[in-house]
Amino acid sequence: MATTSIAPEYAIDIKPDQIRQDLLRPIFQTSRRFYVLVFFLVAIGLPGIFLYANQMSEGMGVAGITRPIFWGIYIANFVFWIGISHAGTLISAILRLVNATWRRPVTRCAEAITVFALAIGAQYPIIHLGRSWLFFWLMPYPSERGIWPNFRSPLCWDFFAISTYLTGSTAFLLLPIIPDWAVVRDRASGFRKRIYTILALGWRGTPREWHRLEVAMRIMAVAILPVAISVHTIVSWDFAMAPVPMWHSTVFGPYFVAGAIFSGIAALIVAMGILRKALHLEEYLKPSHFSNLGKLLLVMSLLWVYFIFAERLTVWYGNQPAEMAAFWSIQRGRFAGLFWTMVSCNFLIPFPILAIKKLRTITGTMIASSTVVVGMWLERFLIVVPPLEHKYLPYEWGTYHPSVTEIGIAIGTLCGMILLYVLFAKLVPIISIWELKGGQHKKPFAEQALSAASRSGVHLDSTLPSTNS
Amino acid sequence: MKRRTFLKLSAVGGAGAALAGCGHQAEQLIRFIPDETLIPGVATWKSGVCAQCSAGCGMQVRVMQGDAEVFRDGQFGVVKMGLAKKLAGNPDHPVSRGKLCVRGEAGLQVTFNPDRIKHPLKRTGLRGAGQFTQISWDEAVQELLAHLQPLAAPQAAVSLAFLTRPLGGQRGVLVERFLSGFDGARLVPFELFDDAVLRTANRRSFGYEQLPTFDLAHCSYVISFGADFLGTWNSPVAQSVGYGTLRQNRSGIRGKFVQVEPRMSQTGANADEWVAAHPGTEGLLALGIAHVLLKEHFGHAEATGSAGMQIDGWREGLPEYSPEAIAWKTGVAPETTTRLAHEIAAQSPALAVVGGAPLAHTNGMFTALAVNALNALLDSVGKPGGLQFTPRPPLSTSGSAQDISEEGKVDSIRTLAQQILSGQRPIELLLLYEANPVFATPPGWQVREALEKVPFIASFGTFIDETSRLADLILPDHSSLESWIDAAPESGAAEAVISVAPPAMRPLHDTRALPDLLLDLARRLGGRTRQALPWKSYEEMLQAALAPLAHHPGSVSAKDSDEFWKKVQEQGGWWSTDASLVPKAKAPADSSRPMKNQEPQFAGPAAEYPFYFLPYASQPFFDGRHANLPWMQEMPEVLSTGMWGTWVEINARTAATLQIEQGDLLEVASPNGKVRAPALLSPGIAPDVIAMPAGQGHEDYGRYASGRGANPIKILAPQVEPTTGSLAWAGTRVNITKVGKGELVLLTGGPTEWGAEKVTR
Amino acid sequence: MAHRWAMVIDLDRCTGCETCMAACHAENNIATVDAKQAARGRAMHWIHVERYWEGEFPNVRARFQPVLCQQCDAAPCEPVCPTYAAYHNEDGLNAQVYNRCIGTRYCANACPYTARYFNWWNPVWDKPLQLQLNPDVSVREAGIMEKCTFCNQRIVATEIQAKAENREVQDGEVKPACVQSCPTTAMVFGDLDDPNSQVSRLARSMRATTLLSELGTNPKVIYLERESSHGND
Repeated sequence: MATTSIAPEYAIDIKPDQIRQDLLRPIFQTSRRFYVLVFFLVAIGLPGIFLYANQMSEGMGVAGITRPIFWGIYIANFVFWIGISHAGTLISAILRLVNATWRRPVTRCAEAITVFALAIGAQYPIIHLGRSWLFFWLMPYPSERGIWPNFRSPLCWDFFAISTYLTGSTAFLLLPIIPDWAVVRDRASGFRKRIYTILALGWRGTPREWHRLEVAMRIMAVAILPVAISVHTIVSWDFAMAPVPMWHSTVFGPYFVAGAIFSGIAALIVAMGILRKALHLEEYLKPSHFSNLGKLLLVMSLLWVYFIFAERLTVWYGNQPAEMAAFWSIQRGRFAGLFWTMVSCNFLIPFPILAIKKLRTITGTMIASSTVVVGMWLERFLIVVPPLEHKYLPYEWGTYHPSVTEIGIAIGTLCGMILLYVLFAKLVPIISIWELKGGQHKKPFAEQALSAASRSGVHLDSTLPSTNS
Repeated sequence: MKRRTFLKLSAVGGAGAALAGCGHQAEQLIRFIPDETLIPGVATWKSGVCAQCSAGCGMQVRVMQGDAEVFRDGQFGVVKMGLAKKLAGNPDHPVSRGKLCVRGEAGLQVTFNPDRIKHPLKRTGLRGAGQFTQISWDEAVQELLAHLQPLAAPQAAVSLAFLTRPLGGQRGVLVERFLSGFDGARLVPFELFDDAVLRTANRRSFGYEQLPTFDLAHCSYVISFGADFLGTWNSPVAQSVGYGTLRQNRSGIRGKFVQVEPRMSQTGANADEWVAAHPGTEGLLALGIAHVLLKEHFGHAEATGSAGMQIDGWREGLPEYSPEAIAWKTGVAPETTTRLAHEIAAQSPALAVVGGAPLAHTNGMFTALAVNALNALLDSVGKPGGLQFTPRPPLSTSGSAQDISEEGKVDSIRTLAQQILSGQRPIELLLLYEANPVFATPPGWQVREALEKVPFIASFGTFIDETSRLADLILPDHSSLESWIDAAPESGAAEAVISVAPPAMRPLHDTRALPDLLLDLARRLGGRTRQALPWKSYEEMLQAALAPLAHHPGSVSAKDSDEFWKKVQEQGGWWSTDASLVPKAKAPADSSRPMKNQEPQFAGPAAEYPFYFLPYASQPFFDGRHANLPWMQEMPEVLSTGMWGTWVEINARTAATLQIEQGDLLEVASPNGKVRAPALLSPGIAPDVIAMPAGQGHEDYGRYASGRGANPIKILAPQVEPTTGSLAWAGTRVNITKVGKGELVLLTGGPTEWGAEKVTR
Repeated sequence: MAHRWAMVIDLDRCTGCETCMAACHAENNIATVDAKQAARGRAMHWIHVERYWEGEFPNVRARFQPVLCQQCDAAPCEPVCPTYAAYHNEDGLNAQVYNRCIGTRYCANACPYTARYFNWWNPVWDKPLQLQLNPDVSVREAGIMEKCTFCNQRIVATEIQAKAENREVQDGEVKPACVQSCPTTAMVFGDLDDPNSQVSRLARSMRATTLLSELGTNPKVIYLERESSHGND
C-alpha cells in the first residue's frame, strides 16, 4: 500500500490523548441535551408505531393509497431511504480504495448512515404490505406451504439485495469499530465495561488482528461496491419492470443509483454538520471536508440533472399517449409545483452554492445538502405517484392524497432514523479513533504495528499501536 | 410501552374478529330442525318472478343451504334452510329469455336487506315521528279488523282507500276483489314514471290500452323519441334481448338506431345518431318525418286508420309540419329531418318508439299520438319488426289492475289528496302497499298533508319509507322470494304470458304474505268480501285462476290439473303458443276529434328560470325504490359514473360560461322549491337543459338511502298532462346558482372535460 | 383436458346496462365499500363499464367498454408477484390464490387494465346480508388483492360435472355470471382451443381486437368493435 502524506488542510494536529478524550467524551458523559433530544424523538416518532399498529388491525384503508395509486409515499420513502443509505458505504468504500486520506474522520458517520437508513428503508416494504405479518413469505425457506418465493419478482430481488446490502454494510461498519470498542472497554468500568468487553470481541490489538482487519476491510470495500450499485438498480427495477407509463424505462437503473449517491452525500453532509456542532468536532471535521464532499455533491447534482433531462426528453420526444398523460401532469398539471420545487432543490439552489468556491463553506454545503435531501424525496414521490395516477385507460385514472397514517409513519421513521443515529453517536466513537490516529503516522498502523511487534516480540497494548501513555 | 400498546391493539383487533365470527350466544342456544331437505353445497335453481318493477320477468333463483337467524314458532333461532344466493333470468321465459337487468339482479338484497321490517309494528309516537313498537300478528290483525269492520257495513258513510304500487297479475285481482266488499273503496295505484299517457294514446290510436311490445330483433331501423328502452322503460330486458339481434347476429343486416332526446340517456348513448330536439317538441319531429314520407308518397295517409286520424291535418299531408316549419321549434335542421325520413323509407321494417320524458310534458298526449301515427304510416303495427300488443292470458279471473280502471273505482293519488284535503271524500282508513307518493310527488300535490289527515293508515310494505312512516299499523309482507309470486306481463313478449312461482325460500322474519293476509282478513270479515275471495290461500287462488290455461295450447302440457299446476310452478309460469290468442282491443274512444299541435307548457317564466329541468329515471334506482340496496347505491350510473348520491348534469360549455366546475355545489331552483347537488359536466346534454337522476334524497328509507343526495321531484311544479292527469314531470323550468363545493362520488377518476379521453386513443 | 377459456365482448351489442356488474357482485361476494370509500376510488367492480365521450354537443357519442381482468396469456401481473399469489393456471387463466397474497399490490400496478382490486378493509355485510354470500366463492379479508376469475367456480363445477358424466364440456356450457346475465348477449364465453366454439368463431371476426394490444399482453378477452350504421356517421 502506498504511503501518502496528508495535505495540510486535512491534517489533524492533535495529540492522541486529546483525540481519545474528544471522541470518547459522548460515551462517558451524558448531557441533558441528549435526554431532551431522545425524549423528543421518541415523542414525535411514537405515534408512527401506533398508526402502523392501527393500519394492521384496521386495514390498509387508513392509508391514502387507493386504486389505481396502489403505491404511495410508503414506497417513495422506501426508495428515499435506500437512496440515503448509499452515502456511507459507497463513499467510504471508494475513498478507502483510492486511499483518500481525508476520508478518515468521515467514514464512520457515513457508514452508520448506510446501516440505519437501510434498516429504516427496509421497514417500508413491510409496512406497505396488506398483510405485514406474512412478510417472511418473501424469504426463501423450505416451508410447510411447499412453495418458494417467485424468483422472477423484483420484490424478491429486493429482498436479496437489501438483506445482502444490510449484512454487508453492517459488517463494513462494525469491523473497524472493534478496535475502538476495545479502547472504550479499556477505559470503562462496571456495567459499561462488561458491555464493551462483549462488543470488542476480545480484541487485543495483535499484529495478526490488525492485519486481518486491514485485509477484511479491503475485501469488504471491494465487495460492497457492486452490492451497493446493484441494490439501487434493483430498487429501480421495482418500477422499470412494470409496464406502467414512465416507469418502464431503461434509464432507471443508473438514474436511481446516481440519485441515491446524490441524496446520500447530501444526507452525509447534513449529518456531519450537525455532529460537528453537537459533539464539538470542529477540529476533526474541517471546512475542507465539507468542501470536498460539496464538490462531489456538485458532480452528482450535474449528473442528476443530466439523467432527469435524458429521461424527460426521451418521454416527451417519444410522445406516447399514455406516457404523455403522466408527463404533462408532472410538467404542468397537478404536480408541476412539486416538480419545479424538486428542480430548485436539486439543482437551481445547490448548483451555484457548490460551484462557487466562496460559497462552498460549511454553511453553504449544509444549505445545499438540506435542499437536496428534500428535493430527492420529492423526486421519489414524483416517480411513484404521477405515473400510477395516469395509467393506460383514462377512465381508471385517480388521485392520491397521503393520509395522516402515511405521514405519521413517515415522521416516525424519520425520528427513528435520527434516534438510531443519536444512540450510535452516543455508544460508539463517531469518528474512528484508530484510523484518525493512524492517519497521523507516515505508515498505516498495521505495517507499523507489525514491524514494531516483530522487532520487540512483545504483546502490544490491546488498543492502539502507538499507545504509550 | 410500545410493545404493550401493540399487543393491546392486536388483542382488540383479534377479539373483534372473534366476535364477528360468532353470533350472540342466546341465539345459538336454540337450533331448529331443518325446514327442508337440502344437500349442503349443492345448488338448486328454483323458478321465480322478478318483482323489482312491473315488467314481470321470469327468473331463476339459485338456492343453497345456509344457517339463518330466523323467527319461527314464536321464537328466534338459527336454522338450516334454503337461501337464495343468486338471481338469473329464466331461459324459457318469453319476456326475460334468461336475462335480467341490473336492478333485477339486485333483487336479492331486498330479501336480505337489514332494514326490512321484521315483525308487525304499531305506532307509538306522533304520526310521522317514526316511533313504532313491536306487536304480535294477532294484535295487528285484530286492530286492522277493528278498523275494517265498520267500513264493510253496507252503505258505510266513510270509506277506505288502497294506495299501492301498480299491481299486475292476481295480486291486483285480489286487492280489487277485496275492495269490492267495501262501498266506495278506492284503489289508488301510484308510480312516479307511470305510462298512463302512452296507454291512453295507444287506445286512441290502435285500440289497445297497454304498453307496446317491440320486435327489435327483426327491425332494420329504430327511431326512439326519448324512450330509455334499454335502461329503465317498459320491459328493458325484453327490449335489450331484441336489441342485441338488431345490431348483430343477422348476416349482412345491422339495424340503425336513432335516438331523439335532449339529454343522452343510457339508451341514447347506443344510438348511431343522437338528435337533441328541444324538450317537448318530439311529436313535431315525428310529424315532420311523417310530412316528408307523405309528401313523397311513402304509404298512404288513409291506410293508417284511426292512428293517423288522431292528428289534425293528417289527411292533407300535414302541411303545417314541413321540416322547415318545425325546425325553429325543434331545433333540428330541416336537412336532418328530411334525411331521417329518407333513411326510414329506405329501411324496412322501421319502427318508432316513444316513452319517458316526451310524454311527461303537458303536450304528452299529442307527442304520443304523433309517434303512433308515424308508426301507423310505417306500417309497423302488428308486423314483424314492428310493435305489437301482448295478448292477455285467458284466466278465470280478470287480468290485471289496468283492467279495472274502467270500473270507475280507481283514483290517482293527486285526486285522492285533493278529495281528502277538501273534505270531499272522507277516507277513514288507508291501506298502503309499497307505494311511496310522499317521496315521489311534487309538494304541490300535498300528498303528505292529505295522508296526515287520514285517521288510520295500515301499511303492508316491507320497508319504512317516507309514506309508510306515516302508518299507524305495519303488517309487513314477505319478500318476493319468500312468497307466491305472479305477474302478467303487459308487454315484452309476442305471446300471452303469465309468470308464476312458488316461494324460493322460507321467510326470514315474522312477516306474512300480503295475499294470504288479505284472504285471512276477508274470511274474518265475512259477507261480501268473503264471497269475493273464497280461496283458502293465495296458492289456491292462483291455481284456480290459471286452471283454464290447461286447455289452451301453451308451454305446459299435462294430463291433469295437478300435473299442470306442478309444471307451471317448475317452469315459472305459462305462455301461450296459441296464435289465435290476440290482444283484446277496445274501440278508439274519441277518434272523431283529431288533435292539433300543442305547445308544451313549462312552469316558471323563461327569463327567470332559463333551463328546462329534466329529472330522469335512474339506472340503479329507477324511481327511487331501489335506493335502499347497497349494490345499487354503489352501482355507477353508466354515463355519469356517479354513485352514492345525486348530481346536476349540465352541459360542459354552459357550465364554462357560468364558471361552474365539476363538483361545484349548485342550487337548482324552480318556482316550487330548491334542491342542492354537485355539478356534473357532460357533453351529452343540451345547453338549455339541467338534468337530475331521480331516486335519491330519501329522508327515511333505511340506512343506505336515508339522508343521501337530493330528490329532484321535490322541486317539480304540480303540472299534469291534462287528458290523463299524469304528472308532467318534465314540465318545469329552473335556474341554477353556485353555492359552494359539493362532493361527487364518481367511479371514473378520468378527465372531466370531454375530448380529453383522446389521450389514449 | 385443458382448455383455453376466453371471452368475446361485442361492443356493438353492449348497451352499458351494467347487469353484468350486479351479477358479478352477487356471484363473487364482492364487497360494497361505502360512499366515503367509493369517493376515494375504492369501489370494487371486477367488471365495470367504462364510458368514453367522443365529440362535442350536439355531435357527441358515448362509447361503452366493459373492462374486466383480461386473463392475459402474457400477464404482467404474474411475474411480479413475489409469493405466486398471481399465477397462470393450467387452463390459461390468471388465477389469484387469496391465501398466498401478502398484499404487495405490485400486480395491480403492473396490470395495464387496472383490473385488480385491493381489499383496503375487511368486507362488511350488515346482517342478514351475509346470507346472500355464495358459498362457492371465498370471502376476502383486508390486505388481499382480488379480481375477476372468469367465475372459476363455475368452470370447475362444470368440468367436474362433465367428468362425472364421462363427457367433454360442451361449448357454451360454462357461463360466467356476467355472460349469463348479459341481456343483449354481448358477451360470449368458451374455449379458444376448440376452433368451432362460438368464441373462436367470433374471435376470427374482422371486428375482433384486444384492449391495449400494443402492450403484447395477449388478452383472452376479445372485443368486437362497435360498428356505425349505413355510413351515415
